[in-house]
Amino acid sequence: MNHTKITSDGTTPVNRLAGVIGRLKPFILGTAGIVFLASCGTNSPQDTWKPKGPNAQKIDSLQKPVFAVAGIIGLIVAVAVTYSVIKFRDRGQPIPKQSHGNPALEITLTIIPALILAVVGVFTFRTVFDLNKTSDTQMIINVTGQQWWWEYDYPANNEYGITQPIITSGQLVIPVGTKVMLRETSRDVIHSYWIPALNGKRDAVPGRITINRLEADEPGIYAGQCTEFCGLSHANMRMEAVALSKEDFAKWVANQLKPYAAPAEGTLAKEGETVFLNQCTRCHQVNGLTRADGTPVIAAPDENVWSGAVPNLSHLMSRNTFAGAMFNLLTPECRKDVWKADSAAFGAKYLAGVSADCLNQSDLRGWLRNAPAKKPMYANPTQLAATGGKYRGMPNLGLSESDIEKLIAYLLTLK
Amino acid sequence: MFTPGSKYLIAITGLSAVSLALYMLLVHPSAIGAVALIGLLTATSLLTGITLFTRDGHASEGETSAATLDTPTSSMWPLVGAAGFTLLLVGTITTPIVFILGIVAMLAALIEWTVQAWSERGSGDIAYNASIRQRLLNPIEYPLLAAIGIAVIIFSFSRVMLAINKDAGALTFILAASAISLVGLLISVRPQLKKSIVLTIAVVAAVGLVGAGIASMGVGMRDELVVAGQEDHYAHKECGAERSEHFDKGVSKTISAKSGADATIELIDGKLTAHAQGIEGLQDSITVRRSNPINIIFRNKDAGEFRLSAYLGKTKVADGVSEDLVTCTQLLPQGGEQWLTFKIAKPSIAEGPYTLTIPGLEGQSIVVVVP
Repeated sequence: MNHTKITSDGTTPVNRLAGVIGRLKPFILGTAGIVFLASCGTNSPQDTWKPKGPNAQKIDSLQKPVFAVAGIIGLIVAVAVTYSVIKFRDRGQPIPKQSHGNPALEITLTIIPALILAVVGVFTFRTVFDLNKTSDTQMIINVTGQQWWWEYDYPANNEYGITQPIITSGQLVIPVGTKVMLRETSRDVIHSYWIPALNGKRDAVPGRITINRLEADEPGIYAGQCTEFCGLSHANMRMEAVALSKEDFAKWVANQLKPYAAPAEGTLAKEGETVFLNQCTRCHQVNGLTRADGTPVIAAPDENVWSGAVPNLSHLMSRNTFAGAMFNLLTPECRKDVWKADSAAFGAKYLAGVSADCLNQSDLRGWLRNAPAKKPMYANPTQLAATGGKYRGMPNLGLSESDIEKLIAYLLTLK
Repeated sequence: MFTPGSKYLIAITGLSAVSLALYMLLVHPSAIGAVALIGLLTATSLLTGITLFTRDGHASEGETSAATLDTPTSSMWPLVGAAGFTLLLVGTITTPIVFILGIVAMLAALIEWTVQAWSERGSGDIAYNASIRQRLLNPIEYPLLAAIGIAVIIFSFSRVMLAINKDAGALTFILAASAISLVGLLISVRPQLKKSIVLTIAVVAAVGLVGAGIASMGVGMRDELVVAGQEDHYAHKECGAERSEHFDKGVSKTISAKSGADATIELIDGKLTAHAQGIEGLQDSITVRRSNPINIIFRNKDAGEFRLSAYLGKTKVADGVSEDLVTCTQLLPQGGEQWLTFKIAKPSIAEGPYTLTIPGLEGQSIVVVVP
């Protein structure tokens, strides 16, 4: 009995498929080669295979053997299937004798995977419980996600010199060798916090507090990315964790607690302060900034922005990023200098902040000129009906080039 | 002349016309819904006309086996399907429940009519064809009808229980359970009891219960349940004399609520203490996020009734006039605990310090810091 279909040109479907594969061979091999070579890249700050802290190390210690076991099994299955497909392909031969019911074989093929999964399960549960341990926490940081940036606030912690709460955004600064607990939540939609080098991902859910632990072995900057789709600029919702030695962290804390220093009278920065007061303080808070009559300026993001919050710009130039860590405040050269610094020199370079020479003027000017053009946001004033007239990102303020010049001079004083 | 297809379309057209008349009369004569129903009526009228004119493509003259029925038996399912389709369309412009009823009716018609049409091709014997249909559908129909019957009984009984007072409710429950037990006992000791008597008892009981349920729905829930519903668990700001009688004082006992708590505040031995997750020991202040809902669990471990009061700054009530913004838990007895949710829009430097206090207990407060 012949079951093979013969097409009009006399070939079988299998032969035609083999022909198609043969013609595509260069393309397939080329693609595989590119994928292989891409895996050799070294400039990959979000590489999940390079743990830089004990929590990420625990995940790494689990995922490598699991990946190996799964890989070997996958390989065995792929080879067996490929062998069967080629060896027993339809050549017009009679259908072989069908056999059903081989209890010994079936029980063996059930028990072996069950045992493998049981072993993987034991180690997985152990790791999960280890990662959720919080009793030895040394520092707490509240992490709040909103479209499309992360806010960090540090409750008072005398052990680390945090005598008053600190609030910052874009870059999370932590001391090395310290068990830091992130208490995560969100002001609008679900986000997910993930610094691959320091731990796994954890969702930030509105109305709930979720716990995530970070600990870095060495000073440095560790990149991350929101990993829960959260709207238009999800891909631009980035974050960086900056690990400093304990001495450098103390310096960072001291700097964050420094009182506001108004620019000197008669300077461009002082004019910029006036522009900031008129244009930016509706949403952005700079702690210590006062009006001409001496009353403190209190921003009202809750009245203008859907999430109710925007980045607090106190000590802005002590950070390296802005706009949800999408853009760098440092020029590429200066940024590279900080990122590539060795452990001993890193702290000093990071704490130097952003100088006028190192300021990435291009992106900052572009942002001030027309923020929605730089980062997709629901910031069109004509399309705010769904949010009750509130923005979900920084709108185009229509600033003049002169105002932008003044603002940049002012922002550079916020160190 | 009237083929099943034309019957179906005539039914839809008729129901569309009725729906349009009712809608224009009861809702609005020129609303978008009326326009939609006019469109439906026009479309179905056109299709009905075409079907009648073409005699449904002479479908009845198609190929049929000699063993099958010459003409199909009468069926109510085209009508049910048409009614379902109309309900579905009306539901899109009125309420979701009508839409859902339309879907249910259409699905029922689709299944029943399909199986009926299939069974009628089984033989020329109507009884045999009906047995085929029953064999296939009865295992679905009986449990479904039983489930609907039970749901109606439970719903009716629950309406009665919500309408009468607590004591009468307990008595009614006992009497109903006793009556069911007695009837069950009677049937078990007198198995030769006439089927008609048992059926009469069951029908009278079911009709009585459904009638009582409808009457209870007309009367409405008893007053205390209406008041409890109006107390609004999550929006009350009852910081003065206690007014709430039915507020759920165990609301924070749910797992979901506890998992989202920013801090737990306890009153023990006249002292107010705070515990935030992850921070060792007790604190006299908590740091919370600006413009974000804050969840606090308050536990009263002291003798007497106390409430937790949160001062949240000032709120503008008129030009140049503002008053304190305060929210509270209820008065909680010893061992009671309650969830308090609030939001602070401004940092502490604006209107702070924000505090959590116990009215009547001087010198004890937890500072709420907003960076």
